Amino acid sequence: MDTHPTAKPQIPDELIENLIRSLEHTHDEECTCEDVYAVVDEFAEAEFRGEDAARLMPLIKQHMELCHNCCEEYEALLDVLEKSQSA
Amino acid sequence: MTTAIGYNPVAMDARTNETWLDELRSPGPVRDMALDDLHSIVRKGLPYALSRWLSPDDPLFTPLVDEVTQETLLRVLDQLDTFEGRSMFTTWVHKIAIRIALTELRRKRWQDSSLDEMVDNEENPAPERLMADSQASPETSAERTDIMTRIRRILDEELTEKQRQALIFLGVQDLPMEEAARRMKTNRNALYKLLHDARLRLKHRLAAENLNAQEVLSAFETR
Ligand SMILES: [Zn+2]
Repeated sequence: MDTHPTAKPQIPDELIENLIRSLEHTHDEECTCEDVYAVVDEFAEAEFRGEDAARLMPLIKQHMELCHNCCEEYEALLDVLEKSQSA
Repeated sequence: MTTAIGYNPVAMDARTNETWLDELRSPGPVRDMALDDLHSIVRKGLPYALSRWLSPDDPLFTPLVDEVTQETLLRVLDQLDTFEGRSMFTTWVHKIAIRIALTELRRKRWQDSSLDEMVDNEENPAPERLMADSQASPETSAERTDIMTRIRRILDEELTEKQRQALIFLGVQDLPMEEAARRMKTNRNALYKLLHDARLRLKHRLAAENLNAQEVLSAFETR
């Protein structure tokens, strides 16, 4: 089936290391980017009010530890909430 | 705060979620006024949302904000029925604006860059390279090589071509998820699931081989 093993791009060491590191945060059940998007406004407001959003929504927090894009969008939303108020 | 004539942030923010929904659903001037206010709210929020990526002095800034604001209002009207009231209405709107803005920004940043630029992009530096070989003692070096060989074999056996490709896009070329998804003709959500599946397979395989993630990592960290 795979007749061209040399054509496979080599995965560099540091990527393997990052991958192994991410296994610590890997669970059988994880929520997806869509799940996060559905509640990130609620999550950001909870954080903004000083509640422990990560404890209230652990799966969301867990996803954001692995998903850079969702984390960026959450942080941008929190920036808007915080800076709009202080403006 | 700049207070343009006729602009009253308190009154704007004073609408309840229900009022927003009612007004945006009413035809005529009530809706137009609500849309105007929402337009201002989105425009005011975007510079904060974008502050980590784009300065207001950047020539990209104003066209992006204009485009995103328009697109946000359209999407808000289109998705009004999906708002569940779990947050303030305006927070929900900012969320939509941010998704549109960052998706657009990521696309713009990556669409024209060549492969070479992608590997060494200043704003997205490649992960720090580990220099394990030069200073490792012969034993740790041999042990490390042994673990590396095992891990590489496991990766070869467990990862599908798609998963391998995704990892290389994200980890080597440092593409954002959305851009990698676009190149793989999928979407970000499906890509996350693909990677989750890859991580799970690896996790279970390491467990089956009695390989502890910490031990593997310490092999990497040995210098
Ligand atoms: Zn995500």
